[in-house]
Amino acid sequence: MRLTTEEIFRTYTDRLFAIAFTVCQNREDAEDAVQDTLIRYCGAKKDFESEEHIRAWLIRVVINRAKDIRASFWRRKRAGWEEEMAALPFEEPEDSRLFEAVMGLEEKYRVVIHMFYYEDYDIREIARILGCPGGTVKSRLSRARALLKNTLKEDWNND
Amino acid sequence: MTDKERYKRAFSLLRASEHDLMEVASMDHVKVLPVRRLVSLCAAAVLIVAMASVAYAADIGGIQRKVQVWIHGDQTNAVLDIRGKSYTLSYEDENGEPRSVAGGGVAIGLFGKERPLTEEEILEHLDSPEVAYLEDGSVWVYYHDQKLEITDKFVDGVCYVQLQEDGRVLYLTVTEQEGYTMSTHGYVKP
Repeated sequence: MRLTTEEIFRTYTDRLFAIAFTVCQNREDAEDAVQDTLIRYCGAKKDFESEEHIRAWLIRVVINRAKDIRASFWRRKRAGWEEEMAALPFEEPEDSRLFEAVMGLEEKYRVVIHMFYYEDYDIREIARILGCPGGTVKSRLSRARALLKNTLKEDWNND
Repeated sequence: MTDKERYKRAFSLLRASEHDLMEVASMDHVKVLPVRRLVSLCAAAVLIVAMASVAYAADIGGIQRKVQVWIHGDQTNAVLDIRGKSYTLSYEDENGEPRSVAGGGVAIGLFGKERPLTEEEILEHLDSPEVAYLEDGSVWVYYHDQKLEITDKFVDGVCYVQLQEDGRVLYLTVTEQEGYTMSTHGYVKP
């Protein structure tokens, strides 16, 4: 199964950007990662089993690209996530506190939190996409939730 | 409200900068390289390392910089001249004969808009490993002073190459016909 470039672009660009942003923590690098991912999809000869398979592939690639970009020797100074956050029109103050708390986590926690709470993946699916054991994902998710609870108090239910 | 609902509400505000349809016109030459790097490669397989404290001369409409060049594993001095979307690299070969290589590069924005690469972006790309598919059918990997022939190393059309320098490890996934991809985290499956 293959989706057209237009379908991929319209459906997944913002979602891929969000997950890349949780890794890179700046707009420019996140957009680079998304762009790399979309181009790689277009050039890939791979035939996917389903749209879910495509989505998982895109997410895995964008995470890896985001990590590579962030680790690049030649990275220029980038505006940080705090500046990005300042420009976001949060509906409620608790939303900005949640955003800040998540972005303050270590990357390994941010990624699993985002995949669980935003992409609705379960632990097994997250493990498969990230290529790590389910126990590791479970442990990271648990730890991330505890950190968020400690920071957000009653604004985080741990559900 | 559940944590999930609150999380989605907060993070759904993250949007990529533009919302135009991206046109990927020439996929053959971009699918190998990350975007915001050089889109078109120069004809010769040349690697370049720009040293930090080199002479810099501003020229009308361009940038000229003295660089140290890795050419097929050997280091030499060269002059990199960047003008708009193109650059010229001038150097002397092992026989002292003047040589020049011309190339061009554009960065394709998220939605198909082009702009000339910056000097930093060109240097960044030129410092990357290079895979050369030569006319005699051989395939070579070059990275600074390292060179490796991988012609007979392909299995099912793929060869995995690991490059190490100063504690940094680069993982290359090279295909027999379609170029290569690179990662610092592990081999990317083709």
